[in-house]
Amino acid sequence: MLLADFGTSYCKLWDTTATAPQLIATKEIDPALKVDLATGHNGKRHTDNYVNELTALARGGNVLIDADHYTLLDCGSRDIKYICYEQGKIKNMGWNAECGASMGFTIELLERYYNLDFTTMQVPASSFSVTCGVLGMSHIFDAVVGGASEAEAVAKFVKGIALNAYNFAGNPDIIYLSGGLCDNPLFVASFPCQVVLLGRFVLLHGLKAIATHAKKISANGQARQ
Amino acid sequence: MTTSTTPQRIGIVGIPPLAIIKQLETEGCLIFDLDEPHVKRDIELASSYLPRVFCAILRTVIINGLSLKLDRIYIDVGPGKCDCALHTATILADILPETTVITTRNQDSAAFGTPLCTSRLPLLERISAITKSVQSARPYQDLPACVPTAGFWGVPPRDFSLLSLFPDSTHVFGWTRCMENKTPDHQQLEALINPDIPTVFFAQSFCAKTALARHLATKHPHGLYVDCDVTAGNSTKAKIEAFLELSTTQQGSLPDSCPPCSDQLSS
Repeated sequence: MLLADFGTSYCKLWDTTATAPQLIATKEIDPALKVDLATGHNGKRHTDNYVNELTALARGGNVLIDADHYTLLDCGSRDIKYICYEQGKIKNMGWNAECGASMGFTIELLERYYNLDFTTMQVPASSFSVTCGVLGMSHIFDAVVGGASEAEAVAKFVKGIALNAYNFAGNPDIIYLSGGLCDNPLFVASFPCQVVLLGRFVLLHGLKAIATHAKKISANGQARQ
Repeated sequence: MTTSTTPQRIGIVGIPPLAIIKQLETEGCLIFDLDEPHVKRDIELASSYLPRVFCAILRTVIINGLSLKLDRIYIDVGPGKCDCALHTATILADILPETTVITTRNQDSAAFGTPLCTSRLPLLERISAITKSVQSARPYQDLPACVPTAGFWGVPPRDFSLLSLFPDSTHVFGWTRCMENKTPDHQQLEALINPDIPTVFFAQSFCAKTALARHLATKHPHGLYVDCDVTAGNSTKAKIEAFLELSTTQQGSLPDSCPPCSDQLSS
């Protein structure tokens, strides 16, 4: 079975007969590709079986997190979303596609443009007030004009994004983090709380759980006939 | 001398008092609920008269008012509507010199009941029927109440498409329930919730009811606050869809048997 999370910048594909999922830049995806089960912004084009991203995230969290009380935050290229469980029940959720727009995409753009290495950068003491990737850029340009180094300015921007995401998720004590920004140590260290990294493939784990459940239901139905 | 048999064209905003609705029915007027879109015109046209960051329903009222060539508009500006409607009434009176704009303060207290809010029918159909019922003074038909599996709290949205995400067994709360009951300023009824069912607390963006919606969602053991402006975007719809789905399945499973109906105000 082929599962896929069609993101804005990257697509995550998982042939469930293989052990590990693959990461492919979205611009390299064959437009004619069809998969068995999909999620993500561009998913509906590639499948007849589409799962809402928040549902896939929650199901992935159920598989990967051994707790009945947690906040799972997914920071993607284009948006941020979170799911909060309390006592095993869904307590809250959010999907910020407008005011949290393009955070991941902007961070990657800045990394390339300024040729930065996020693994060596320190978390700054202060941050910019950033509500969205696009609007936050002007803070960087102003700081550089004011004499700050490019790395210093970008670090403040990244910390601002992390704080914004933290506030959006309801200021939890522990955040389970999903998405490509798990690989950015500056971003992860900028959170003012404990962060547990789950990586890029949480939604795929959710899809796999959904597919397995559907298979079981189908098998039970056939067994009854 | 000629006599015209053409019915008067009347716009209503919010819920005018029942006495006025009865009078309009007697006169055989053609009533337009201006809170709902009646013409296919860009809502941005309202921006000449109201700020862009303003309730989409009242921006729709302006578009309707400009387009429908109305004889009179009854606009409720009392505690059963909002201050924004009060200011919109002033603007309507200024920009529509051919139309008589009459403000009302509906404090009707005779309860008509809420059979549609608790019945089992597609939610979109029921809320359409509730908004339509404002134009009539006739009593309602009895409908059996269903066992609820979800709740919708709030005003009828500008974009009805989000209602299609809810199951037929959704009970309706908030101002929409007050609307069906014909008691738009019944604050106790508006604040009524059923803590046993997952409930979406909806308000139009930039409406004062966002405060109450968010407050009640926080208090509710299983509530989700949602607001949207002119149309419900994909992320808003996805939130509602995921909330309803995850609320009835693992981890957040509900009991196999549905909770009893416990969302009626005690008399």
